[in-house]
Formats: sequence, structure tokens, C-alpha cells
Amino acid sequence: MNIYCLEDFKVEFEKLKSKKSYNSFEQEIISYFFGKTKEELCSGTRLNLSEDAPYIKKRLKGRGGFRCYFLLILKGENLYLMYAHPKTGSMGASNIDDKSKAYLYKKVLTCIKSNDLYQLELNDTSKSIKFIKL
Amino acid sequence: MECLSHKSEIINTFSSVRNFSFKEKQSPLLDEEQMNGFLDAILDFKKGLTEKTQTIYEFNDRIERLTWFNDLDEECLMLSNDLISSAKDLWSSLIRQYVSMNFIRSKGIAKNEIKDFKNALDEFKESYMDLESTLFFLPEMPDFIETTKQLSLVR
Repeated sequence: MNIYCLEDFKVEFEKLKSKKSYNSFEQEIISYFFGKTKEELCSGTRLNLSEDAPYIKKRLKGRGGFRCYFLLILKGENLYLMYAHPKTGSMGASNIDDKSKAYLYKKVLTCIKSNDLYQLELNDTSKSIKFIKL
Repeated sequence: MECLSHKSEIINTFSSVRNFSFKEKQSPLLDEEQMNGFLDAILDFKKGLTEKTQTIYEFNDRIERLTWFNDLDEECLMLSNDLISSAKDLWSSLIRQYVSMNFIRSKGIAKNEIKDFKNALDEFKESYMDLESTLFFLPEMPDFIETTKQLSLVR
């Protein structure tokens, strides 16, 4: 699976990484998304009812934890991380509203078309994520 | 004469104190049986709450899985609408129960169990709201439908 992300995701990722209380976020992303089959990734709430390109909201790190929004293009085996936020703590937020869900959805389409994306890769030790601008 | 009555009063008081002291020494505030009953009640409360919490988490997973069903017909949508209404009703009842636990929580009893119960309730609300968005609100947004159409062409 090729993993990409929007600028929105990268911004949130860096904010969370800089906060001690959220330092498990990067590991959560690595263990949930990297090295997984598309079948394993088809879990969570499917927001768009699409069979080919499910738009998914996934709860990470169990109770409390984080919420991650991503799109899977199953035929191309491409995954696009769109947005993430913690549920609790100083940067915690409740559910994002429908307008924001629709905004992110439209934005991922625009970014795919214009190739305005980052590719995510693991470093040599597989313990941190590198963002490569396309 | 006066002195005798003083003496008698002192003796009576002394006797009352001594008797009461002796009795209290034999029966502390809660005897073992009463204490066990009290602890059993706390354990029963914790067990009941943990089971309830587990049931809510199972509902959350089941509601989430419904979003992976394809080609839902009108009848399925109507049933899902009933499910969402019922889930809202359940949440209202359970959040009232949570509020009524404030006193217990403030005394430090079953703190973790109550915290987990609240988290399960928050996720339950999130699950049925997401289901409602997925089945009824997002498909009514023209932009959203158009994006789905265009994404189906992306390889």
C-alpha cells in the first residue's frame, strides 16, 4: 500500500508530535497503517458508502485516543491520510462536523488531481515517518 | 447531704461512660459482617457497570460495521433510522445515570469504571451520529456526491 497525506494531516501530525502527551501518535500511525493489506485497512466508519474508494474515519489507540480520516483507493492500492486529531487533552476535539468531513473529502480529490501530496515512508529503523513532497 | 448526691451523680456518670465504652470496644462502627456487605455492594456496582460498559462498546463496533453494508434499500434505511432514534434515547438514559454517579465518583469509589463508562458513552454518541451522517446527511450534500462520483474514476 502506498501511503500519502494532505498538508492538513502533516500539520496536525507535527503539532501532535511536538507535544509530550501525544508522543504515541506517530507509533499509532506506523503500527496501524504501515505494512497492512487493504482488507485490514477497511475498518472503522465508512463515511461515503463507496466500495472502490472508501472514505474512512478510524479510532486509533482504543479508548479516548485519536481519530484519523483517510481515503483508500483500492484498485491503485493508495491510501491518503487526510486529517487526524486527538479526542482528549489540551488539543482534544470532539467529532468534526459534516461540513468539515465534506471539505476534506473534496480537498483530497483536488490534491490527488494536482499531485499536491506528501508520500510517507519509514526511516531506516522503522520508528519514525518521513514526509516526501511529490 | 449535698455531697452524697454529688458523689452518686459522679458514680452514675462514671458507670454510664464505662458501660458505653465497654460496649463500643466490642462493637466498632462497622463490624466485619457489615463491612463485608458494604464492600460487596461496591464490587457489585463495579461489576454491573463494567458489564454495561462492555455492552456499549459492542454496540459501537456493531454500529460502525453497518456503514460497510452496500446497497441499503428503503426498508434498511428506515430500520437504521429507528436504530439511531433508539440509540439517542439510550444515550439520554445512560448519561443521566452517569450524572447520578457524581457523588460516588467524588468519594473515589469505582473511579476507573465510571471513567470508562463515560468514555463508552462518548464513543456511542459518536458512533450513532456518524451512522446518521453517513446514511442521511452526507448523501444529501451535492458536493459530497459529486466528489464520490469523481473519486470512483481515480485509479
